[in-house]
Amino acid sequence: MSQRPSYAVGTGLFIVLGFATLGYLATQTTSVVNTSRGPTYTVEAHFANIGQLKARAPVKVAGVRVGQVQSITLDAGKETADVKLAIDQRYDKIPEDTVATIFTSGLLGDQYIGLQYGSSKKTLAEGGTLSLTRPAQQLEEMLGKFFGAGGAADNLSGSYTVKARFTNIGALSVGAPVKMAGVAIGSVQSVQADPVKLDAEVSLSIDKKYSQIPDDSAAAVFTSGLIGTQYVAIQPGGSPDMLKDGDELVLTQSALQIEDLIGKFLVSGSPSDKKPADGDNKH
Amino acid sequence: MSLSMSRDNIVIRSLEQIGNCGLFLLRLLSAVPQSLRHYRETVRQLWFVGAMSLIIIMVCGLFVGMVLGLQLYDVLSIFGGTSATGTVVAIAIYRELGPVVTALLFAGRAGTSVTAEIGLMRATDQIAAMEMMAVDPIAYVAVPRFLAGMIAMPLLTCVFCAMGIFGGHLVGVTWLGIDNGTFWSNMTATVEVGKDVINGVLWKSLVFGTVVSLIAVFQGYTTPPTSEGVAYATTRTVVASSIAILALDFVLTAFLM
Repeated sequence: MSQRPSYAVGTGLFIVLGFATLGYLATQTTSVVNTSRGPTYTVEAHFANIGQLKARAPVKVAGVRVGQVQSITLDAGKETADVKLAIDQRYDKIPEDTVATIFTSGLLGDQYIGLQYGSSKKTLAEGGTLSLTRPAQQLEEMLGKFFGAGGAADNLSGSYTVKARFTNIGALSVGAPVKMAGVAIGSVQSVQADPVKLDAEVSLSIDKKYSQIPDDSAAAVFTSGLIGTQYVAIQPGGSPDMLKDGDELVLTQSALQIEDLIGKFLVSGSPSDKKPADGDNKH
Repeated sequence: MSLSMSRDNIVIRSLEQIGNCGLFLLRLLSAVPQSLRHYRETVRQLWFVGAMSLIIIMVCGLFVGMVLGLQLYDVLSIFGGTSATGTVVAIAIYRELGPVVTALLFAGRAGTSVTAEIGLMRATDQIAAMEMMAVDPIAYVAVPRFLAGMIAMPLLTCVFCAMGIFGGHLVGVTWLGIDNGTFWSNMTATVEVGKDVINGVLWKSLVFGTVVSLIAVFQGYTTPPTSEGVAYATTRTVVASSIAILALDFVLTAFLM
């Protein structure tokens, strides 16, 4: 019996240690840390697109967490998301004209709501609405702006087809946009090589909204940026007659090959100068 | 003929073992109320299987966490994502490594000694002597060890997980230089109480503790009363426990996900 206290105390210590570590694991290493405690008040914000925002995502001002997203619902009868934000009571001096924006932390990180204070003297009350919001930036849109020639026009109102012949279309592919003055008005429907004339016949599908294009307009294959995709640009002419379905654009400008450009730029002579030299090497 | 006979025997014998094990579990459970009267014996067993296993569990947890931190840092640096080291260490330890490695260690450290002890009691007729004195050996010998294992496993797993996180922190932050705040904030942003700590650590370790203790007590209690029998029973405890742990781990993960 004199041995009893030693193991009883040790066992007690073991059990206490076990539960203490469980408490530590559950409260200090999990998302429980991030749930804000204490009184909060709720404000609303309506976003056109919330992207990947989730409930319990943080709400930040100047990068400091001031609350979290309470709920996300679709506005009844509208195509906007109603996001309720639970803001800690101690941060109750948010101006009325504050802008709420959905940001992404890092390139692949989670999304959160950033608030940028306005200059209004009035502060937002419980249940108030942040009317100035900026929706989530979709990665596809951003990349599209960055690399692409912009999206093709949505041909909701139908389209008509015109043809254009190019001696070289470069890397133009089906689906590439057709632009006039930088605005997408249609897309490339098909690209075919003409077996007789030995050039490329491109069908352009143009939105019916843009039916006032003169029939002596020129078509050119351009590249958006240095490494961007290629598109067809329409440069309007001055004819009083307009393009109709099935017409052909006569004036065309082919794609510039970057190899040609660099060749012209670096070598002052024409590429044909090199040919004899190549031939000499072969002999 | 003789081959098919022996194969039949193996199948039938293992089925018989599983059936006996199930019946033994029922006997154990029915003897629990009676056994609670000698709760001191349970406390003493808790000391032997739980508190005495702490050192090995802590050391192993530390090293598992350290090697996880090292490997993950190496792989994640390919993607420039070393800040996720803490998250992945925590999730891997909570969901899989903590419960499974602790259970395997527990089977080796505590399960074998329980089997050998009860087996030797059986071989030296101590159990028969208890029956003679109208002391139920199930209630006095088997149940306290079974209960102690059930209680000790979740606690040991928690200690293992905490040491693993500490080991990951030691390698990741102290040695390889991940930012301390990033390490913890990424972990706390991703790890969830319900899914990772309750489902991963607690449920799994409770089930593993029950199964390992049951196998250990059963093998000891039903061992042939010879020195060879005790040796076989001890081996079978480790083999059967390991298979049961890994198989149940898959089943539990599928159910708890």
